[in-house]
Amino acid sequence: MHMADALVSPAVGGIMLAASAGAIAYSAYKCKDDLDEKKIPLMGVMGAVIFAGQMINFTIPGTGSSGHIGGGILLAALLGPFPAFLALTAVLLIQALFFADGGLLALGANIWNLGFYACFLVYPFVFRPIIKKAITPTRITVASIVSVVLALSLGAFSVVLETLASGITELPFATFVGLMTPIHLAIGLVEGIVTGGILVFVYKMRPELLESSAENKKLPMNISIKKVIGMLLIFAVVMGGGLSLLASSNPDGLEWSMAGVAGTPELEAVGDVYENAANVQESTAFLPGYTFKSSGEEGSAIGTSLSGIIGGGITLLLAGGTGYLIYAVKRKKEKAA
Amino acid sequence: MSTITESLNTINSLEEMAEGNTIIHRLHPMVKLITTMLYLVLVISFNPYNITGLMVFAFYPIILMALAEIPYKPLLKRLLVALPFSFFAGLSNIIFNQQLALMIGPMPVSYGVISFISIMVKTIFTVMAVLILIATTSLPKISYQLLSIKVPKIIVEQIMLTYRYISVLLEQVSNMYTAYILRAPDSKGIKMKDMGIFVGQLLLKSFDRAENIYIAMKCRGYDGNYLYAKPSPLVKIDWLYLLLVSGILSLMRFFDLSQFIGSFL
Repeated sequence: MHMADALVSPAVGGIMLAASAGAIAYSAYKCKDDLDEKKIPLMGVMGAVIFAGQMINFTIPGTGSSGHIGGGILLAALLGPFPAFLALTAVLLIQALFFADGGLLALGANIWNLGFYACFLVYPFVFRPIIKKAITPTRITVASIVSVVLALSLGAFSVVLETLASGITELPFATFVGLMTPIHLAIGLVEGIVTGGILVFVYKMRPELLESSAENKKLPMNISIKKVIGMLLIFAVVMGGGLSLLASSNPDGLEWSMAGVAGTPELEAVGDVYENAANVQESTAFLPGYTFKSSGEEGSAIGTSLSGIIGGGITLLLAGGTGYLIYAVKRKKEKAA
Repeated sequence: MSTITESLNTINSLEEMAEGNTIIHRLHPMVKLITTMLYLVLVISFNPYNITGLMVFAFYPIILMALAEIPYKPLLKRLLVALPFSFFAGLSNIIFNQQLALMIGPMPVSYGVISFISIMVKTIFTVMAVLILIATTSLPKISYQLLSIKVPKIIVEQIMLTYRYISVLLEQVSNMYTAYILRAPDSKGIKMKDMGIFVGQLLLKSFDRAENIYIAMKCRGYDGNYLYAKPSPLVKIDWLYLLLVSGILSLMRFFDLSQFIGSFL
């Protein structure tokens, strides 16, 4: 579910980075005042555990397929929401840098999708209330399943909104949601059961670990619902804005016009690029009436794009050649030295 | 387990690469961070139907890899892992946008195909740029730079600690996995019903480990704060690189070299 850089627009990437940075700053502020210094190495190690834990594939009975854990709810249950959010952020950054899992620009979106909902929405308002009255294996299991399913669905839904607002994929909204929701419900169910199993085991062996984070004397857990709703509202407005921008410029919902997709006014100021875009666009307008074999005016419009594509190939060759040249020169120098 | 060994290898090989001593490695980490971010923004700012303008951005990763003497193979391998998701996201464009854009000889090319190519090219470029950054700048160096742009200390500590312990934990998981598989030879992986105990054990061990780490840190004078050396200032060559590369990248964004070359054909 990690989004890649190539699938977000600069605007969406930037907004999500800002939103996540806000949540990180707030968590850091909370942790700074209230966190036991003992918890700092624990958070680091737990981040590493989640990282390694995601690589353990388990077999799902009756399906022949395998799954792995996500870890947002697990971390929140063991560390509390604020430290869990920070630990997840570190994991996601490392995954983006070393494993090309998500990108640097999409990092904000990924932190939001995989961390925000789990730590600040589902954990405090679903998970904790369920186990608050009494911590029992059944309650832990139920809380885990419900929480993981919810957190995952919210995250998946955000992926849909962010991708659509970025205007990169042309999947219609309904189809996209229809594809993402059932898959993530199923994944969430399996992951929720496993998360429950892990937490029940930990509870049986070391009950104080769960109890302390559920009650948490040192860290105040009162997350203000106003703040969470406020942040969600901003998210909704921005994404809604991005989507309606697209929708208004695409009355038929399929043909995505240049301006709507790019969504940035600066693009229009760009001479060559804009012209090129306009050329491509122009050629569609001519489409129904003309055959492509005749080389009229519209032929030249298409010719530009075609020659542009050949030019693109030559550009790539040039780039490759430059790289090779640098290698060759370096090698020669090494030999001489 | 193959994924675990692979991850360990990836981290190790990238770490080794970052220890190189080329002109790119010697640059100030901040400069590399800024130019990488600029490159990413410029690449993804292209609209989905402009692939000719995008091509010139191939120069950046190729020249950097040559200058930094980064071997191609490991980076390409990582790239392959990153491609499938973009591939499927792009594939939908081919299905949903079949409007004809142009003809290459007798072959029709739809807008969907163009935007599909655009997504794939963007994925390759952005992934390469990030991998080049980490292959020429070690994570600790990047993390320290985060401090100077006022990222909270606790986050930087998190990144450093997690990064330090990833290889330790991966090895532990790998050992536990081997132990499990030796006792369940017919199993293709860990059975779902055993996952609770498996990861639970890992968690308990890790809690103890964290406790020991804390005690060890305490013994060495840890008082809740990490101590950092002041990052070195930018020198002339750093400024030169920063200005030159951002200038060229910005130019590349607004000048379509492919169309320019194509206009001579």
